[in-house]
Amino acid sequence: MQDNPASDFGDAEGHAHMDNVGRPLPVPDQSSEGFWAAASDHVLAIQHCGHCDNAAHPPVIVCSACLSPDSEFDFRPISGTGRMRTWTVIQDPFLPGFRAEVPYIIADVEFDDVPDVRMVARLTIDGEAPLVIGAPTETTFEDVASGIALPRFRLLRG
Amino acid sequence: MSRTGSAWRSQVAIAGYALSPIERHSSRSLGDLAVETGLAAILDAGLRKEDIDGFTTGSHLPSAGGHALVDGLSIVSSNWISERLGIRPRWLSGFQGHGQLPGSVMLAVNALAAGAADYVLLHRALANPAARYHENPMTLASGGSQWTAPNGMWGPVAQIALPYNEYMQRYAATREEMATVVVELRKNAARIPWAYWHDRPITIEDYLNARIIADPISILDCDIPIEGVGAFVLTRAHRARDLPNKPVYLSGFGQGTPSAVGSTRHWTLDEIMESAQVTCDQLWASSGLNVSDVDLPQLYDGFSPFIYFWLEALGYCPIGEAHEFVQGGAIATGGPAPVASGGGALGNGRLHGIPQLLECYLQLSQRAGERQIANANVGLACHSSPHYGGVVLCTADQI
Repeated sequence: MQDNPASDFGDAEGHAHMDNVGRPLPVPDQSSEGFWAAASDHVLAIQHCGHCDNAAHPPVIVCSACLSPDSEFDFRPISGTGRMRTWTVIQDPFLPGFRAEVPYIIADVEFDDVPDVRMVARLTIDGEAPLVIGAPTETTFEDVASGIALPRFRLLRG
Repeated sequence: MSRTGSAWRSQVAIAGYALSPIERHSSRSLGDLAVETGLAAILDAGLRKEDIDGFTTGSHLPSAGGHALVDGLSIVSSNWISERLGIRPRWLSGFQGHGQLPGSVMLAVNALAAGAADYVLLHRALANPAARYHENPMTLASGGSQWTAPNGMWGPVAQIALPYNEYMQRYAATREEMATVVVELRKNAARIPWAYWHDRPITIEDYLNARIIADPISILDCDIPIEGVGAFVLTRAHRARDLPNKPVYLSGFGQGTPSAVGSTRHWTLDEIMESAQVTCDQLWASSGLNVSDVDLPQLYDGFSPFIYFWLEALGYCPIGEAHEFVQGGAIATGGPAPVASGGGALGNGRLHGIPQLLECYLQLSQRAGERQIANANVGLACHSSPHYGGVVLCTADQI
């Protein structure tokens, strides 16, 4: 990992931080494997309840709308366009593998297709689009390992 | 005062306390500090070790380096301290979740009011790991962290930065306005001999020039990790009156229970304030009081934006206006909302609610010495954010 002179790697008392550690990869589980399988094909698919069609992210174990104990879910593709609810610019991350990437933006986006669903991901900005609440975004994907892709947001010109 | 309120209201009191030295890193083990501080609290209450028959604590955190927690070194559980004191208790418990201090106080209140124990030692022990607090070298992110860590989001700072930025954007709040809050907390802590930042106040310029961690949160918006132990002895009101110190009664409680889904990314500002309202509704219903009865609101400030959330949820000002309310001396000692007389977490260090409960206890038991505030009868000891933490209402008299 390359040192980045723009970031401060020590805490107030100068403790050295751990080095040479990568960026963590997501581990799919029983409730999330449909999301990550679609993501690896660069498709944003959101969990929907088979009984009442309620959409949820992160995926739920029991539907929070109909509370059916006979859970049945499927992952349905959505367009991935949305609006930025809020963001933060990370200057000093707590995951050592991200130190070379600062500053970077974490955005919280609400999706147009499923208005009650939101997701956090890295945000990339092309050109001069301003960071404002409600700014329109689209979803892209970054391949990070064999069979694993992470959603990213891209800010669109309003 | 009101005749409504919960059955346990004012039935249990704090009878004594002790606080260990607060240091960045102690040369002694956390277990040693906890045993010594626990014994000191028992003596302070005018009791013998043998009198204690109940224990409780909360032992959430510290987190650093992904290491497993070790009882007696990085945490001190109720089981651990009771064994090291040589006591086989009738009642032993530990609070799970956030707002550990109000949560564990209420476990003790319920146990004492029900007669499951007569004298409870409640402690909170905080370690500061050698590695950077919250840093994690994980290479795989499972469970809730699969939604955040692969994107470079980990730990509570970014989780708080997101709704705080939402607050700033929505209500046009500024870092200059937050400087008022942090400077006031540090000013008050500078007067407290045991506070980590004793004698070290800061200026508005210091605050505005502080290093940003996750914009808009800077290092001065976060409490500094320290090592230390606080302990209190609780008993039923009639027993407390036979002991040397003036009792401080536990007379109200609220606890946040937000949607669990939010914890895997962050809660939005609206989710925070909706759940915070439930916390404060519980507080007023259980105590039968309202915000105008409170003399000593010790709000929690482990991250500075929590001060705004608490002020608005408790009803000191309308939602969205705390950043304006705090200007002009409103939160100074002598003002309508002296939220920080005890120096808070930003002044005392990362003691997770101990400074807030300690300030209520010292002031209401008339033990605050030269910092004693006249005519203070009702205090609030808050911990964590109002949407997932808790608050205990303390009174100088039974109500």
